[in-house]
Amino acid sequence: MRKVAIVGTGQTKCGRRDDVSYPELVREAVKEALNDAGLTVKDVEAFVTGSMPSPMSGVNAPHLYWADAIGAYQKPIIRVATCGSTGGSIAHCGYYHVASGLFDVVMVLGAEKMYEGDPQAVMTTIWDFRYEKPFLAGAPGVFAMQAMEYVHRYNFSIDEVAEATALLSVKHHLAALDNPYAHIKERITVEDVLRSRIIAYPIRLLDICPVSDGACAIIYASEEKARKITDTPVWVKGLGYCGDEQMFADKDLVWWLAAVEAARKAYKQAGIEKPAKQIDVAEVYNPFTYQELTFYECFSFCGKGEAVKLVKEGFFNKDGQLPTDPSGGVLCTNPIGATGLQRIAEAALQIMGKAGRRQIPRVETAFAHAMGGSYSLNSVLILGRTK
Amino acid sequence: MSRVAIVDVAQSKHGAPHTRNLTVRELVYSVVKELLEKVGLTTKDLETVVTSSSDFWQGMGCSNVFYFDAAGAYLKDSPKVEEDSALGFAYALMRVLSGHFDKAIVVSVTKCSETPTISDITSFNADPFYQRPVGIEEVTAAGLQAQQYTSRYGLNDELRAKVAVKNYGNAIRNPYAHRRMALTVDDVLNSGILAYPLRRLEVAHGSDGAVAVLLASEEKAKELTDTPVWVKGIGWSVDHYMLGDRDLLDAAALRTAAVKAYKMAGITHPRKQVDVAELCETSTLQELLWYEHLGFCGKGEAGKLIAEGVTELSGELPVNPSGGVLATNPYVARGLIRIAEAALQLKGEAGRRQVEGAEVALAHSTHGFAGTHHTVVILGR
Repeated sequence: MRKVAIVGTGQTKCGRRDDVSYPELVREAVKEALNDAGLTVKDVEAFVTGSMPSPMSGVNAPHLYWADAIGAYQKPIIRVATCGSTGGSIAHCGYYHVASGLFDVVMVLGAEKMYEGDPQAVMTTIWDFRYEKPFLAGAPGVFAMQAMEYVHRYNFSIDEVAEATALLSVKHHLAALDNPYAHIKERITVEDVLRSRIIAYPIRLLDICPVSDGACAIIYASEEKARKITDTPVWVKGLGYCGDEQMFADKDLVWWLAAVEAARKAYKQAGIEKPAKQIDVAEVYNPFTYQELTFYECFSFCGKGEAVKLVKEGFFNKDGQLPTDPSGGVLCTNPIGATGLQRIAEAALQIMGKAGRRQIPRVETAFAHAMGGSYSLNSVLILGRTK
Repeated sequence: MSRVAIVDVAQSKHGAPHTRNLTVRELVYSVVKELLEKVGLTTKDLETVVTSSSDFWQGMGCSNVFYFDAAGAYLKDSPKVEEDSALGFAYALMRVLSGHFDKAIVVSVTKCSETPTISDITSFNADPFYQRPVGIEEVTAAGLQAQQYTSRYGLNDELRAKVAVKNYGNAIRNPYAHRRMALTVDDVLNSGILAYPLRRLEVAHGSDGAVAVLLASEEKAKELTDTPVWVKGIGWSVDHYMLGDRDLLDAAALRTAAVKAYKMAGITHPRKQVDVAELCETSTLQELLWYEHLGFCGKGEAGKLIAEGVTELSGELPVNPSGGVLATNPYVARGLIRIAEAALQLKGEAGRRQVEGAEVALAHSTHGFAGTHHTVVILGR
């Protein structure tokens, strides 16, 4: 099979970006990625783009809206959109562009301008409109159910779990201070988290990601091109993508098969048998701290019901056995169409050794994840320093 | 490039009354089920299902999640390509070419009877600052383009209307087509102005429908069918976004896409080497304009082609024997339907719309105003 590498990444500053239009925002990420790889837009043979359901930013077929600003004129461009997992899906799609042999250098772009729309209103249209939507509003209500199911499944008290999720929130907020692209930059304490207001029980304000404007780009190249472009190509070692059933009453929200299977597929390709030992850093898609606990278990970073204990022990801290989200993760920065791709860009930066103050020493293998849909879609990408 | 084939295809009977009582889920389920049964597979044999739909066109965020199980994608690798299912086909092709998958299903759906009109929805394709406030949407953009053609080349309305007569007429032979009508040029010209100079019958209105295509690697395809249809070439490309930045009669993106597809397929004289073409014409004029930029004739000469009957079912290069998009337009699915129809022609399974002895077929899709984005696929026996 054709080997494919990431040779450049670009991210915009995220937050409320009233200073730029939607195409201008995406262009910023394009320029950053081209500069990073030392390429010009002429070198890019094809573009893969994605964002949330397009009503969120108010323009349908936004790939056409972006096309001129990103330099895609008279070039192949495609739009792939899978809600929160869009960043993962477009990264997979870009990989297949190169792996197919049809293209050698491909740019992948994800973006969102959430302050121009009503994200929660759009997200309510994801659920089945007859049975599920009438009971729910946006994302927090849905993911609160998962949190409660986790608490009950393993006979925890809410307080025991809340202590762990508060630690996660503090950890990520501190990490975001080291990330120049991050949106929420606040020094907070465990008490701040536990005292923040309830949004959907048991989830509190500081357990939840923000809405952000932002864009992210990565550039892939075939092996031959990658060697010429950079001394630090980051190789795609494994891809896993998996979707669950539509109705969420039909699925196990704690041992979530779509997440379990996506990771299994990617591990198999990458030859990973002991994830906690073999992965040096993981960028987990973590819009909700409670959900993050279940992901750690579904990805076999630890056993079932063990995440709470390990979080308290510092297992996932920057100096722990398996550091997670040294970027601050989704919890602090969330332009949704770009969010999954940011996980991949951040994982790549860690391997390239370009992660600045958020750098984890000696990263050989990195894990990047994205999640989306009505408890449906999970995307995993394993990146490595060596082929 | 290693060889990838279309093993088989399935499509719904598009449009009312067939689709009236079917949900989007059921439409998807019916075509995927039919396709799998045709080739003797079950969902267990599948590892990837590429879906193609649009959240705007389904009125739901994450439109593929709604029919995920129905597409046979439960616990499988199933992305969604938006807006144009020909690009879903391209993605599935790349997945098989990569060697990761030996088979891939592409399925696409849109149920236009449940959505606002094409004009309403495509007004959201316009940027909110310059184009949307002046009423630019797919139909008005097609009108501007048609008027420009009339002014530049002096094409009369009758020749444009002949495209509609041909396509609705061909649709009578296609049991899956939505609008099947024996019309005269006068019927078309008297159907009322919709976007000057285009009449109501010159513009593709919405339909309901779903379509599924199974792609496989060479080895797998030969196991599964005696009549594989090979993907010989593919190209896709995009034009400027703002209409004011474009010459609407210079479909440069179509030429770029076609040149790439032709080069891969070794086609140097499309008019001679292509036996049948399925084009995505959202207006009568567009079919004529696409002839020119696909190299079937020179610029400004398409009127002659239609006048001489070259693209009739019995002509030298039949175009849209299925009735095309004028007859059947389940918006996002229309591109994949073109590919499925082209494949049926090469399999010799096109029934009364069969072009005898077809060896090479061209399928085309477009989305965006006045043909902003184009995809060209060349298939061969």
